[in-house]
Amino acid sequence: MDKENSNSITPETDERTHCKKEGRFSSNAVAELEEIITHYPNKKAAMLPALWIAQREYGGYITPEAIREVARLLGRSKAEVEGVATFYSMYNFKPKGKHHLEVCTCLTCGCVGAYGVVHKLEEMLGIHLGETTPDGEFTLSEVECLDWCEAGTVIQVGNKYFGHVTKDNVEMVLEQLRESDDHTPTSLADDIVKILLPEGEPKSKVE
Amino acid sequence: MAELKLLLKYRDVPGIENIDVWESCGGYEGLKKALTMERSAVIDEMKISAVRGRGGAGFPAWIKWSGVLKHTDAPHYLICNGDEGEPGTFKDRELMLKLAHQLVEGMIIAAYATNTDKGYVYIRGEFVEPAKSVRKAIDQAYAKGYLGRGILGREDFNFDLYIHMGAGSYECGEETALMSSLMGERGQPRLKFPHGALPVDAGVWESPTLINNVETYSCAPHILRNGGAWYASMGTERSKGTKIISVSGHVKKPGNYEIELGTPLMEMLDLAGGVIGGKLKAIIPGGSSVPILPAEKCVGVNMDYESCQAAGTMLGSGGFMVFNEKTDIVILMRRTAEFYAHESCGKCTPCREGTRWMFKILDRIVSGAGQPSDIDLLLNVCDQIDGRSYCPLGDAAAWPIRAGIKNFREEFEYWITHKKSPIGDDCVPPVPYRINPALIPLS
Ligand SMILES: Cc1cc2nc3c(=O)[nH]c(=O)nc-3n(C[C@H](O)[C@H](O)[C@H](O)COP(=O)(O)O)c2cc1C
Ligand code: SF4
Ligand code: FES
Repeated sequence: MDKENSNSITPETDERTHCKKEGRFSSNAVAELEEIITHYPNKKAAMLPALWIAQREYGGYITPEAIREVARLLGRSKAEVEGVATFYSMYNFKPKGKHHLEVCTCLTCGCVGAYGVVHKLEEMLGIHLGETTPDGEFTLSEVECLDWCEAGTVIQVGNKYFGHVTKDNVEMVLEQLRESDDHTPTSLADDIVKILLPEGEPKSKVE
Repeated sequence: MAELKLLLKYRDVPGIENIDVWESCGGYEGLKKALTMERSAVIDEMKISAVRGRGGAGFPAWIKWSGVLKHTDAPHYLICNGDEGEPGTFKDRELMLKLAHQLVEGMIIAAYATNTDKGYVYIRGEFVEPAKSVRKAIDQAYAKGYLGRGILGREDFNFDLYIHMGAGSYECGEETALMSSLMGERGQPRLKFPHGALPVDAGVWESPTLINNVETYSCAPHILRNGGAWYASMGTERSKGTKIISVSGHVKKPGNYEIELGTPLMEMLDLAGGVIGGKLKAIIPGGSSVPILPAEKCVGVNMDYESCQAAGTMLGSGGFMVFNEKTDIVILMRRTAEFYAHESCGKCTPCREGTRWMFKILDRIVSGAGQPSDIDLLLNVCDQIDGRSYCPLGDAAAWPIRAGIKNFREEFEYWITHKKSPIGDDCVPPVPYRINPALIPLS
């Protein structure tokens, strides 16, 4: 049995080893994953949660080491992990800017000014959709309906939603973001991992 | 028939996200009552209420519930579909954000009725704030003994409830794709009845599985508290109870409205303050997947499953999008096709290729290079997808386009002949100033 398919979930490096350097999950991340695995009848089901943890651990995107580590911890092949990860649009495979602006241009937003907002953002940031500013501060993307259509145009930035954005007030969104130190792709993943974990002690388990 | 608040009744009560406030509004009474009844009697109440699934298809909830209960061998699984991704629909977001205890209580009732001890709330990855509310509600329910082992002193009733976050995929709202995603796979659908098993017989991990929408579960506490007959006293003969309608677009007061099923469509529009920015042009009453209704066909239609169907559209998930006379239907249809091309999971050829074809043809038309034969070509592609795809996403991609052409054919012809919008330069959505190749990974 090769390493990727080992069933063990214990970290093979000790706590003092820095996760990124060795490409391993931190011991805290391993503990989180161990808890989450108990929510399911098998380890494989913890794939999406493990990828969320990975996205946080590796700086807001899924690196080749992250794939290898998730495969090792869950006892799956790298090809399988990569196949699953690439299906989902919220896992990043390239570094994103500190503030990842995801503008909804879907049906309602598209009819109430979203394209004007995108255009204005492109002008202000000097980049096109899908690009990141050279200073790494902003990435601009277009996304499908964020299901907050009553507040269109809607922009998601990490775990924050901005509503009622227009081409005339979008500058305020940028100003607000510039004041924040948050690396939004990482903090979004962090929030999601927290949501997966019950508060306090592990709950009484039904066998 | 008009606005009738049941699920949204306590939406604006301060602190309603806390368990004690929810209890002071009668929360968890439905569960307590259910626990005094036989499991099958709880399902009987659901049957009398005749509540139908609110995720889009409108399938009677009790049939699924009893389908799971009839399996006596453990384990069973309970899933809440909180993947809400249908453009124009945003009711589940609000139900989870503000009224998470209503959902959790409904799921516990369903767990009891179906003899299930493990459940998952599958929430779309983008919904961080709503998911935080559900997290808090679950933690509070554990602390009060509504979840966990021996619920409310009942030795024979254990239920653990977990959250599973999605990661960006509309297709994961389709129930079998959701199950794939929950089991750690790509969000692609599984073979369905009659070719494969029903989820109630062999769903996740080959076990009997109940899957319902957020709004469906949220009805259960009220039905148990007040009785199925009370619930069935609302609505029409075949569409009972209330439905939350998410109103957006060119209206004065967009938002979620709860109405008695059977309320006239035009009254729904009035409730939301009426059209703004010009005259009414069209309404999509049930989310992006349902056929568009031109203004003249909106009169006389009621917001219930049967009336919408008779009018050639569907109630769907209740995503009510209003478009004024500035709307260019061809550009709107192009954006709709773009959505489905982007979200097609790629498993079957008619949908994977067909949705891209539809987008490419519509894109060609609005870039001024449309051919006179393009309209028939589009209809042909619709026919090739509809009924031939592996899961209903393909059908749902074809219906709106076909309806767009059927109801607004002259606008397509205008575009092809004049190479510009029949509405003018200030149309919405605007004429795509640039085609964005990044959004669609054309191979
Ligand atoms: C492409 C597609 C997307 C769907 N998205 C959702 C969704 O986001 N939420 C939902 O509850 N149902 C969705 N459905 C419907 C589900 O497959 C399923 O019918 C529903 O969850 C059953 O719950 P209900 O009986 O309570 O409505 C979708 C269906 C399809 C084909
Ligand atoms: S119709 Fe086919 S390609 Fe489209 S989402 Fe369903 S299975 Fe995937
Ligand atoms: S269309 Fe933008 S949030 Fe729904």
